[in-house]
Amino acid sequence: MELLGYIGAIPLAAKKGEGGSFLVSPGLGLMIWTLVLFLFTMWVLSKVAFPKIQEALDRRAKTIAESLDAAERQRRESDELLEEYRGRLAEAREQADDIMVRARKAAETVEAEATVAGREKREELVAAAKRDIEAETRRSLEQIRTEVADLTVLATEKVTRKSLNAEDQRRLVEEALSEVDFSRLSGSEN
Amino acid sequence: MSAEGATVEAPESAKKSGLSTKNKVLIGIGVYLGIAILMLLIFGSSGKEESFKPQNEFKLEPWVSIHLAGIDLSINKAVFYLLLASTLTIFTMVWISRRMHQKPNRVQTAVEVAYDLTKNTITGGNLEPGMAARWFPFLAALFFWIWFSNMIGFLPLPTNTEHTFSVFGLEIPSFAIYAATANLSIPLVLTLIVWVSYHVEGIRAKGFFKYLGSWLPPGLEDMNPIGKAFIFVIEAISHFARLISLSVRLFANILAGHLLLLFMGGGLAVLLGIAALGALTFPLAFFFFILEVGLIATLQAFIFSTLTAIYLGGATSASH
Repeated sequence: MELLGYIGAIPLAAKKGEGGSFLVSPGLGLMIWTLVLFLFTMWVLSKVAFPKIQEALDRRAKTIAESLDAAERQRRESDELLEEYRGRLAEAREQADDIMVRARKAAETVEAEATVAGREKREELVAAAKRDIEAETRRSLEQIRTEVADLTVLATEKVTRKSLNAEDQRRLVEEALSEVDFSRLSGSEN
Repeated sequence: MSAEGATVEAPESAKKSGLSTKNKVLIGIGVYLGIAILMLLIFGSSGKEESFKPQNEFKLEPWVSIHLAGIDLSINKAVFYLLLASTLTIFTMVWISRRMHQKPNRVQTAVEVAYDLTKNTITGGNLEPGMAARWFPFLAALFFWIWFSNMIGFLPLPTNTEHTFSVFGLEIPSFAIYAATANLSIPLVLTLIVWVSYHVEGIRAKGFFKYLGSWLPPGLEDMNPIGKAFIFVIEAISHFARLISLSVRLFANILAGHLLLLFMGGGLAVLLGIAALGALTFPLAFFFFILEVGLIATLQAFIFSTLTAIYLGGATSASH
C-alpha cells in the first residue's frame, strides 16, 4: 500500500516540481463532477438507450433471419413446383403424343374401313345392277317369246286358214321356238 | 491569407510548365517557403512575446463558485464541457434509441456502427460472455462519453472568459476550443473506476489470494520464493503503473492535440514574435485539426475502453 501512496504522489509531485503547473494537477472538485456525471450518463444509457438499441438490432437480425428463411423456403417451394410442372408437362406431352398416335391409327382404320365399305358398296351396286339387267333381259325374252308365239299362231292361221286348237298351237309354237336361237340375243347382253 | 496564396499558386505554376508530379510538389513547397521568407523580410521579428501564455487556454477559472464541506465544486470550463458532453451523449443515444427504424438513416447507421464496435469488438472481443453482459453498459458508456467529450473539444464555443468581444454591448467570451479530457482529473477518475473495478472482479472471480497469485506469469512454478516475490513486486508495480498509463494516455493525447492546434493556428508565431512563422504553421493547423477530429478523438476513446475491457478480461480469465 506504500506503493499506492508513492504512485499516487507522482502527479502531485509533478505539480510541486513544475512550480504550480495546473495542467498536470488533478482537482478533487472536478474529479467529483466527473464521477457524478459519468455515472449518471452510464446509468441513463444502460437504462434507456442501450436496451432499446439492442432490442431494435435484435429485432432486425430476427427479421433478416426470418426473411432469409422465408426466401429459402419459397425458393424450395418454387423449385418443387417447377419440378412438378416439368413432370406434368412431360406427362402431357407424352399423352399428346399418345393421342396423336391413336388418332392417326384411328383415322387410318376409318379410312381403311371406308375404303373396304366403299368397295363393297360398289360391288353390291354392280351386282344389283347386274341382277336387274339379267331380270330385265329375262323378262324381255319372255315377252318376245310370247309375242313371237302369238305372231306365229297368227301367221300360221293366215297360212293354213285353219285354226288350230289350243293344244296344237302350243305344241307348234314350242317346236318353232326351240329352233330359234335366243342365246345369241342374251349372249350379246352378257 | 498568405497560406492560401501559397496553396493556390502551386498548382498554377505547375500547370503552366506541365511538369511531373514530383516537380509540382517541389515547386509547391518552394513557393510555400518563399512566401514565408518574404513575409519574414517584410515584417521581421518583433521579439519574443512574454505575456502570452498558451497554457492559460487550459486554466480553469471558477464561473460559479460552489464550496461544499471544504471541497471546491465550482463550475468551471471543464465542468461545463463535462455537462455538455454528458447531455449530448444522453440526448443523442436516447434520441436515436427511441426512433430506431428497421431501415436506418445515416445517423442511426453511425450510432449502430459505434454500438456494434462497443458490443462486439471492445466488450465481446475481450471478455467472457457472462462478464461481457455485466460490463457492456460500463464499457459502452465509457466509449461514448469519452468520444463525445473529445469531439466537442473541437467545436469552437464561447468559453474563453479571459478574452471577450462585445456584441451590442454584451461581453461575449471569445470562441475557443477546449476539451474536458485535456484535464488530468477526468481521465484519472475514469481510470480509478476501471482500476478498482477490475481488481474487484478479479477477487470476486478467484478469491483474494488466488487473484494476487494470478498476477505472476505462468511458468514460474519451479522458481524459489525470493524470485517469485521479486516478480510479484514487478507485477504489482505494473498494475499501479496502469493508473498512470491509462489516464495520462488519454489526457496527454488530447492536451497535446489542442496545444498543437493552438501553436499551429498562430500561437507559435505570437509566442516567438515572428509573423512569418504563421504562414508556415497555419496550413499545418488544418492538417492537424483533421487528424485530431478524424482519428485521435475516436482512437483514444476506443483505446481507453478497449484497455479497460482487456484489464477486466485479464483479471477474471482462468490463465493469466
